[in-house]
Amino acid sequence: MSTNEHPLDALGDPTRRRVFELLQGGSRSVGELASELPVSRPAVSQHLRVLELAGLVTHRRQGTRNLYEVDRSGVAELRNWVDGFWNEALARFKAAAERKGEES
Amino acid sequence: MSDALVIEAVRKTITVDCLVEEAFRVFTTDAISWWPIDSHSIHGDEVTEIVFEEREGGEVYEVTADGRRGHWASVLAWEPPNRLVLAWNILEREAFATEVEVRFAAEEGGTRVDLEHRGWESVAEDRVGKRGSYDTGWDHVLGRYEGRIGR
Repeated sequence: MSTNEHPLDALGDPTRRRVFELLQGGSRSVGELASELPVSRPAVSQHLRVLELAGLVTHRRQGTRNLYEVDRSGVAELRNWVDGFWNEALARFKAAAERKGEES
Repeated sequence: MSDALVIEAVRKTITVDCLVEEAFRVFTTDAISWWPIDSHSIHGDEVTEIVFEEREGGEVYEVTADGRRGHWASVLAWEPPNRLVLAWNILEREAFATEVEVRFAAEEGGTRVDLEHRGWESVAEDRVGKRGSYDTGWDHVLGRYEGRIGR
């Protein structure tokens, strides 16, 4: 998957996290998102663009407006990142546990 | 169609050459000896202690040398030395509520450790129905990743 933003970086911004949370509750238009957030429509559009680049959000056209929704492929990427993290963390855990086991 | 994508739990199994009790202890009480705090904690390399409150409903949190705390997770199940379940909100947000279960079992050569990090499906879906059940009980908490990770 070729994305410009990593999901974790995209979600580093509190407003973007809030946008993502709102979309977990169902698809919404830019106007609907702006009415639920203390930011302007252009700002919401900008945040949506970053979330889309990270693969976390996608949109589809409905009539004259775009409806935004959670893109599961971005969540899957987040999951894959956590998968890699546990490989590293458990290798460290194994080394520590075996070291302590020898000491005792 | 992205809806067709199933997001499976992260599952890991390793064998550690030590007793079950020792493996459980190092994983929890002695997490500071192995957890990559520089990259995977709220206060980075200032963290000097990782505390597991040893009971269901307890919390897992980091502590810095000057006493600042950062919450990581809630303990959903505490069954030493065999099983541990944590409610872990990635990025400190309920929107990213996941669960980590770790099991420890004696086997030839030491201790088998099975880890499952699950709940990705619900991250991708409407959480409205779930939120109520998560809110009752205890406050949620929170592991956070620093922005630079994953670049």
